Amino acid sequence: MQRPLDNDETTTDGDGDELDPREAARLLAQTEREARRQFNLSPQWINAVMGAVILVAYGSLWLSTREQHPYMGPSLGVVALVYVGVVVAFAVSVKVYRRATAGVSGPSVRQQQVEGVAILVSFVLGSPVLQGAMHHYGASNAIVYGVIPAAAPLIIVGTTALGIAASKADWPLFGAALAVVITGVVAAFVGPSGAWLAAGIGLFIAVVGYAAATTRLDRPVPRRA
Amino acid sequence: MTADPLDPVIHAPARLRIVATLAALAEGDSLSFTRLQNMLELTPGNLITHLRKLEDAGYLITETTGNGRASRTSIALTPRGRAALATYADALRDLLGSA
Repeated sequence: MQRPLDNDETTTDGDGDELDPREAARLLAQTEREARRQFNLSPQWINAVMGAVILVAYGSLWLSTREQHPYMGPSLGVVALVYVGVVVAFAVSVKVYRRATAGVSGPSVRQQQVEGVAILVSFVLGSPVLQGAMHHYGASNAIVYGVIPAAAPLIIVGTTALGIAASKADWPLFGAALAVVITGVVAAFVGPSGAWLAAGIGLFIAVVGYAAATTRLDRPVPRRA
Repeated sequence: MTADPLDPVIHAPARLRIVATLAALAEGDSLSFTRLQNMLELTPGNLITHLRKLEDAGYLITETTGNGRASRTSIALTPRGRAALATYADALRDLLGSA
């Protein structure tokens, strides 16, 4: 260690002589809780932000298309609103990630970065490629601007997240990802406007369920029976 | 109530907090000296003193990369340190359970 020592080098900061076991247990639990909070990549407030963004974005998409006969697709204003929501959610997630992992290095950080790239690629490429192909082969607006953009991202990104969760035995994430995939499947069969509503409700439930599961698992448990 | 069965290397407020904080990381991960110092709100000298004691016991390893102002010291809990914390927590529970 090459850091210079300061005047406190000689202090002991309580070398154990006066630390009562009860006080030690309290200090240990408090430190573990605080460390988990500071290293947490998905704090509850960010789940709340995601839930709000989902409700506003998908609600707007559904409201802007539910009266359309024939279906034409969401208005440009609503699409712009959704993109703003996605950009805000992405920016907030990156900020939380950077704050949580500041000063942390090692295999788990590298793994998280690769997982992030996998999710991003599946989100950015999955739906637009399918939409482009459907448009190219003359599919209707209901398919190109309704069913595919509502259902495909959920199935593609959800499946990617499902694989990641399974590889890490992250059961709350696994459950949430499975709910997202099922939501995508349901959305594919409820019509172009209903797809937005189904996607919004399903995604919101997945986020709330994930938040509840991680909160429950975060409670301290006895190490030994 | 006696503290005899408790590992004296860990049984100090600052070192207990250091080990518990590092144990919250995934196995194999390390934390920069600066982040650890900020999280625990200890002075650099004080933190170094306690890190040395823990390192001497084989509970953690430190690694410094770079030179001068660009140097970065990272600290990681060893498997032995992680096991020692688990044993310490169990001993605490036993002590409090029999109190």
